[in-house]
Amino acid sequence: MALTALLPWALGLAALAILPILAHLSKQVPKSKREFGAMLLAKRLSKRLRRRRRMKDWLLLLLRLLVVALLALTAAGLEFSYQGGIPTYAGSGRVVVVLDQSLSMSLTDTGSSLLSRARAEAIAEIAEMPPGTQLGLVVYGTEARRVTPELTEDLESVSARVAAVELQGGASNLRDALHEARELLAGEPGAVLLFSDEAGPDHVTGAESELALLVAGGGVVIPKPVAADPPRNVAVLQAEYGEGIEGGQVTITVANYGTEPTETACEVTLPDGAAVPIFIDVPAGGEATERVTVPREALGGVGRVDCEDPDLPFDNSAYFHLPRVGASRVLVVDGDPGDTPTRSEVYFLERALAPWGGARTGVRPDVITPAGLTTLDPDIHRVVFLANVADPRPFAAELMAFVRNGGNLVITGGTNITAERYEAALGPLLPAQIRRPRSLAAADEPGVPLELPDLSHEIFAPFARSGRGLFTRVRSRRVLTLEPYVDNDDVTTLLNWEGGLPAMVERKVGAGRVVLWTGSIDLSWGDFPLQTAFMPMMQRLVAYLGGESGGTAARFDGRVGESLVIPLPDIALEPDVIGPDGALVRARIDGATIVFTPEAAGAYQMKLPDAPPIAWIAVNVPPNESDVRVYKSVRASEEELEPELFTRRIDLTPGFLGLSIFMLLAQALLAVRGSST
Amino acid sequence: MNWDPTVLSRVRHLHLRARVLTDALLVGEHRSRRVGSAVEFADYLEYRGGMDLRHLDWRVMGRSDKLVVKRFETETELACTVVVDLSADMGTGGTGVGGYPDLDKSKAGYALTMAATLLFFLHRHGEPIGLEIVGGEGMAHVSLPPRSSKNHLQLLFMQLASVQPAGRAELSPALARIGQRVRRRSLCIVITDGMEEPSEWLPSMKALTRRKTDLRLVHLFDRGEWTLNFKQPGLFFSPEGGEALPIDPGGARELFGEVVDEYVAEVRAGVVAVGGKHILAATDEDMAVALRSVIFGNVASEPTWR
Repeated sequence: MALTALLPWALGLAALAILPILAHLSKQVPKSKREFGAMLLAKRLSKRLRRRRRMKDWLLLLLRLLVVALLALTAAGLEFSYQGGIPTYAGSGRVVVVLDQSLSMSLTDTGSSLLSRARAEAIAEIAEMPPGTQLGLVVYGTEARRVTPELTEDLESVSARVAAVELQGGASNLRDALHEARELLAGEPGAVLLFSDEAGPDHVTGAESELALLVAGGGVVIPKPVAADPPRNVAVLQAEYGEGIEGGQVTITVANYGTEPTETACEVTLPDGAAVPIFIDVPAGGEATERVTVPREALGGVGRVDCEDPDLPFDNSAYFHLPRVGASRVLVVDGDPGDTPTRSEVYFLERALAPWGGARTGVRPDVITPAGLTTLDPDIHRVVFLANVADPRPFAAELMAFVRNGGNLVITGGTNITAERYEAALGPLLPAQIRRPRSLAAADEPGVPLELPDLSHEIFAPFARSGRGLFTRVRSRRVLTLEPYVDNDDVTTLLNWEGGLPAMVERKVGAGRVVLWTGSIDLSWGDFPLQTAFMPMMQRLVAYLGGESGGTAARFDGRVGESLVIPLPDIALEPDVIGPDGALVRARIDGATIVFTPEAAGAYQMKLPDAPPIAWIAVNVPPNESDVRVYKSVRASEEELEPELFTRRIDLTPGFLGLSIFMLLAQALLAVRGSST
Repeated sequence: MNWDPTVLSRVRHLHLRARVLTDALLVGEHRSRRVGSAVEFADYLEYRGGMDLRHLDWRVMGRSDKLVVKRFETETELACTVVVDLSADMGTGGTGVGGYPDLDKSKAGYALTMAATLLFFLHRHGEPIGLEIVGGEGMAHVSLPPRSSKNHLQLLFMQLASVQPAGRAELSPALARIGQRVRRRSLCIVITDGMEEPSEWLPSMKALTRRKTDLRLVHLFDRGEWTLNFKQPGLFFSPEGGEALPIDPGGARELFGEVVDEYVAEVRAGVVAVGGKHILAATDEDMAVALRSVIFGNVASEPTWR
């Protein structure tokens, strides 16, 4: 609020207020004298009048001062201005209607969606426009689009196009919408009627730059907000799979944007169709997080969380990636069973993988002899251990196919290992060609220890807090030696013996991996099974190969309405994109990528016909669209940019003039009535 | 004796007005207002109009063919004193009907005429009459005690005709002084405009009534003054001196009326409190009416000041 004067110097006229003060102080005495025989009564009258006159005279002086002051203020041309008015437009000229068709506009309020209400209000507004108005229409969701290529005087056609606007989905890109509106106005002044819920943290703030340009160009944005009162919506913000203390868990984050706390019923649906119901209490205006434990065995893919909420249905579901859980079903081929179980080559391995019988680790080892290995199914066994197996040739082909199709193979050393047989049978799988075993120490000596592992590797990462040093206690007196090799994209040395001999080497083959442990996993060559690091490292190795990193399909995340660029594993491939409903999604190959824009949330697959998915894509709605609260209104932003647009002015001159005349008459009346003595 | 022609014309006027007014007073009144009940015979008195016929001595009339009335001790000693305020304030007024030479329409003219009429009437009834004048100037005697002789009436008339309103009445000491001189069981009529602070002079009237004097206060006023019947504002001053006050009659009239009301009520209450009678007399009213109120106590005919 402010008070300004057109002629500030006129306020100096207020100095004339001295005149009534002087007049007030000067005593007016009648000139004519009269002999009066009742002066006793006159004196009594005079006393009574004096009492009255004291008050009247001051009132008279006050009125006269007010008259002078008001006349001075009138002459000064005072103007009262205050902020808070909404910009208006004359109802003609150049007008652009901007309509929000983002997902949040599907919020249902008083029986209809915000979008339908905005459409109705826009149509009513257009109907009020006088003929000759040049009108344009812009709609926006994730992207903004000019519905009318240029301004037109055909108001009816624009009105019909407004009526045909449907929910586009996606985020609210007000910035581009204002840009399009500005383009329509072509740099000339005009009004932009914005029909939007203005909801979301960055809905308006993200558009302030364009708003500034529009206002600077002489345009004005007239906000026509449509919003539910009070705002209410429950949304599944995020669902994410992760390892917990007791295994895999899906963490669900639900937000309540309403003003009342609520309990919402949710259901977690895993890729294999298993459903887990859950109730979540969500505080008003806050978030709640719940965790659902995934069964020990579950198929990998894209899972879904659904929560009940009638207000804004689109954000009631969230999609998350779920790796194959419990897939570390391990097949252990015991190449040296021994005559008692304790003398078995895999006695320690079996217990390391399943210390409680496999009930708590999720690893279920099946132990067989080489003769029992006939077929291998990657869907059943994720990891195969060849423990000191002498001759792999009978099942070499099975192993080759197993690895290439995503299976994982671990070869451990021992006295049975023959370099020639392995090279002949599994040469294409081996990280490096095996030589003969080599003694590093005498039988009565402790042997050569391991070097410290690289903690950045997934297998050894858990040892970062403590236990890294445990590896240096692992010693071996004899190891398999390898032909020289160089680490590359496919071959990686994971661990070395002190002195540089490789202890554990990994090789990627097809969709699977092969890990070669040059020591033994029994006590024949060293003390590894007796060391503390043995059990956790074996657990990590199996989890690495068959658990978290398991599965062949790549995983991607996307947002509804946003363009997705997925790299192709092979430039020669031309896969299809299958939508959540099983229908083909329009996509285009762009070099080594495939590009498409999901229009709905759900699980998308990129795959070749009759083949497993190349990639899983979990598509969710933009989380900001779920937040139906208004953080900053267009009006507030525009007021910051151009306060003048929101300034209302009131000319006080007529009021002061009328008031001064009134005061003048009042003082005259009082003067006449009061001049009794 | 003052042979000033003006004085003589005044005396003549007083005689004439007193006689006319006395005649008017006696219309329908054929007996003396006082009914004597005493048994002690005093003397005879020649019958005059207005005397009670019951007191005619029929035996004397039968023997001598003269109309005489019997008088008793109590009646013969009812001395009457008229006190006239002739202060300078009494010389003002513009609505009076006294018709007194040089003092026409003033309160003083009205007061002098009324005093003369009362003296004439009382003398005609054979009462000893006296005169006390407070304020004024030009008189030979300040105080003339009650007497019954015919020459005394002439003397009183001469005194009335000689005096002019002037100075201050100083009512309080004057009334106290007169109170010491009046006889017991006498009649005292005070004619004044009362333009001195009532709280000062009203207590002094107690000096008159404590001797069982029948006190009657004729409170004279000029209607023009009490209603502020003036058009233009002016600087009002008293002929007795003192501070002049600027007054706009138009604006102050209503409030002045309230002041007059309070003042009249104050004076009346004060007079009644000391056992006297308060008779309000407007100078523009018929004097006979006021005289009836004074003599016969006919208060119902008393004028209102508004």
